[in-house]
Amino acid sequence: MNYKLVIHNLGAILLLEAATMVPSLAISLLYGDGAWFSFVLTIGLLVLVALPAWKLVHPEEKNLRAREGFLTVSLCWVLMSIFGAMPFVFSGVLPGVADAFFETVSGFTTTGSTVLPSFEGQPRSIMFWRSFTHWLGGMGVLVLSLIFLPRISGRTAHLVRAESAGPTLSKIVPRMSDTAKILYVVYGALSLLLFVCLLLTGLSPFDAAIHTFGTAGTGGFSNYAMSVGQMNNVAAEIVMTVFMIVFSTNMAMYFRIIRGEWRDALKSEELRWFLSIVAVFMVLVTLTIWPEYGSLATALRHGTFQVASIISTSGFATVDFNLWAPAAQLLLLLLMFVGACVGSTGGGPKVGRIALMVKAARREVHHTFQPRKVQVLRFEGRGVDDSMISQIAMFLVIYVGMMLLGAMLISLDGVHDLKTNLTAAITCVSNVGPGFGAVGPMGNFAGYSVFSKLVLSVLMLAGRLEIYPILVLFSPVIWRRN
Amino acid sequence: MRILVVGDGKVGHVLAEQLTQEAHDVVVIDEDEQVLQRTEDTLDVLCVRGNGANAKTLMNAGAAKADIIITATHSDEVNMLCCLIAKRLGTKYAIARIRDPEYNESLNILQQELGIDMAVNPDRGTAVEIGRLLRFPFATGIESFAKGRVEMVEFRAHEEDAIVNMPVHDINRKLRGIPQVLYAAVERDGDVHIPNGDFVILPGDKVHVSADMVTITAYFRYLGRDNMRIRNVLILGGSRTSFYLAKMIIPMGIHVSIMEIDEKKAEFLSELLPEANIICGDGTDQEMLEQEGLQNMDAFIALSNRDEENLMTGLFASRQGVPKVVVKNNHVSYLDLINDLGLDSIISPKTITCSNILRYVRARVNGGGTKVEKLYRLMNGKAEALEFIARLNDPYIGVPLRDLHIRPHTLVAVIVRRGKVFVPFGNDHIEAGDNVVIIACEAGISDLNEVIRR
Repeated sequence: MNYKLVIHNLGAILLLEAATMVPSLAISLLYGDGAWFSFVLTIGLLVLVALPAWKLVHPEEKNLRAREGFLTVSLCWVLMSIFGAMPFVFSGVLPGVADAFFETVSGFTTTGSTVLPSFEGQPRSIMFWRSFTHWLGGMGVLVLSLIFLPRISGRTAHLVRAESAGPTLSKIVPRMSDTAKILYVVYGALSLLLFVCLLLTGLSPFDAAIHTFGTAGTGGFSNYAMSVGQMNNVAAEIVMTVFMIVFSTNMAMYFRIIRGEWRDALKSEELRWFLSIVAVFMVLVTLTIWPEYGSLATALRHGTFQVASIISTSGFATVDFNLWAPAAQLLLLLLMFVGACVGSTGGGPKVGRIALMVKAARREVHHTFQPRKVQVLRFEGRGVDDSMISQIAMFLVIYVGMMLLGAMLISLDGVHDLKTNLTAAITCVSNVGPGFGAVGPMGNFAGYSVFSKLVLSVLMLAGRLEIYPILVLFSPVIWRRN
Repeated sequence: MRILVVGDGKVGHVLAEQLTQEAHDVVVIDEDEQVLQRTEDTLDVLCVRGNGANAKTLMNAGAAKADIIITATHSDEVNMLCCLIAKRLGTKYAIARIRDPEYNESLNILQQELGIDMAVNPDRGTAVEIGRLLRFPFATGIESFAKGRVEMVEFRAHEEDAIVNMPVHDINRKLRGIPQVLYAAVERDGDVHIPNGDFVILPGDKVHVSADMVTITAYFRYLGRDNMRIRNVLILGGSRTSFYLAKMIIPMGIHVSIMEIDEKKAEFLSELLPEANIICGDGTDQEMLEQEGLQNMDAFIALSNRDEENLMTGLFASRQGVPKVVVKNNHVSYLDLINDLGLDSIISPKTITCSNILRYVRARVNGGGTKVEKLYRLMNGKAEALEFIARLNDPYIGVPLRDLHIRPHTLVAVIVRRGKVFVPFGNDHIEAGDNVVIIACEAGISDLNEVIRR
């Protein structure tokens, strides 16, 4: 294990994190909310720790192997969350260290689960930073670091693969740093478009920014206790519904559309699966909750928004869906096991994986009738290797296993009921945000013990980094000296 | 430039690696998912899975906007077809690896009709390289740069050579009449040193000197190394390379014996090369080698298909006192081991093919991006030669080199001024517009101002 290389790279990335706090500092000075010192202090600490790591530790061997790549990614996310939590602690918004850490992990992993006791009267800069972590975490901080530090290492594939959503890495141009640049330009442009649209619906610039970050990163932090519902702005809800869907699709697709390959780009099989699932669930949920609201229009408004919010793993809410009929709740819970598309900013197991599993299951059933039939699975117009199928199956097993183990561990608190504990674990691994019961859209995670908050933080990180980089941290292999 | 590499084999991989390091955008096309996975993990390139001769695959890889396509699959036909289609799609230049001697006979027509700008034949390229070594037997390796106007010759220093055991700056002062060459690099125990004036060359060092060919020849005459003429050559293995080599050196008046184990192949060679002495027998059999007069040979060349066999027989020939031993070896990882064994001339067809292709690609680069005009990798990548153009307003212009600060472990090796090549010494200065070649141990130099300061 080349620790020097890992430390050197981590130093560079943490310096970048210090830079990402500057906008929040500016907001603090702009609104004069008095929280500026917490950012100055954190930036100072970051520079103090990161600069020596970056400047003084020089690795002899600069090639990043898979193990160093995984370790860099996982440590990077843990450290980023630790430092990102400091403004919450210093400003007194969340004095408990575990609370602040939970909130920051929830931000960076674009989960959107919160322990914030009250929303009113909090410093605006802290609320801004809380949501800005969504925007950064959505596309990935390591991907961002490749733009500013393109020579961070010769072999960056391991870093990006560990951080980007989905089983395969989709480069769009030969250079990884150029790919990162394109992804962020697309991401930034779409975010700006969303921001302008939200302004046009009548939101204040601050509200628009907060909800842009939450939507673009598919995170789900709102600056209102009752989430989007509190604003009661149908136009904004429609805009957000559309953009939650937009940000749950592959970002590379938009680049291809701009490049004029829109016909090929829209042919994507995963996209068709995704849109079909969204459409079917929107109809089903709307029909299920129609009797409750009595009006089709209201049912449609809340049904479509909630479906888009859950499948994109954002976790915004316009109503307390905790109060819906069990059938509608179950439909939403199912969506947590689907998630967004590969290469998007969303979480969950990803549509591509689920689609392949459905196809593999169908083949397995056929196989029992016709044992001699040879059938190669096809996805996106080409054959898929059986090793890929078993990899995905194993991934899903571990994924669900983590949910169950997590639910088990947080149940030890003895505070919440089975429904709450189970959905809390599911929503954290899937990076959705709200669950059901006490952790529903209008509730929060504050009732859990420190231990449970740490468990849930690990679950969120594992979900965002797609399990393996976080499992690596717990593996003795990585800490053994060669 | 955007470069497509079709075929992610040994040669394709090395090319992709080298070209990304030279700041090109590389797309690698191959049918094998696993091979591509490995490449994606280790290199910063775009990987496209598919058959390179399929227009759709080429389109996906961006052939319409590509500058160069290099085809290095195992099949000549696929290589040619890829070039043809890519050219039609809009790729500017096409390079194909073509192996089969049948195609080589009609290469001109093929190249014209299919739009192949350069056809690379690894077997012939290897033969040319060996031929060069036989012509200059004192050298263990020859590399040329600055458009072939400067040669860098590698040789092993012996106890009786006048240049050993004295500091480099004393060589020209104390040895009267020695032609002035540049001591560009010295390899000792696997490490590369860029010698400064105080560096002492020891017997056993691998010395790299650089100058134009006339000066180099005079230099070796001064050292008394040119009295050896190669007259009798024994080649192990009747491969295509052996055939090309024999065909090339027989007219030079060299007597060639080829040892081939396969009877059919031996007969075939005998038919094609009536002047050569073809022996059907096992070349790894030491008794057989001795019987065929190995001790009386001036050169032994091991070109069988197995690297290990080549190395072992080469070692045996070297112990038997054959003055010049050339061994074919494709395993780069063996090279450091071989260094210790005393085998000097190791030829790798893979490397030769790559450097031939890279030479062509570099000639098409038009300066963009970094200030490095050209980059050559020397000594299996342990050192680099970089070519820059001196700019008018740079601070070092017109100042004698001895008054400038030169970065440690780097060397101003050659200056090309108005087409004339010379090796600079302390009194010389750089003029604006000069092509300056720097030799450096470390990678990543991108500007002449990083090397030379006032």
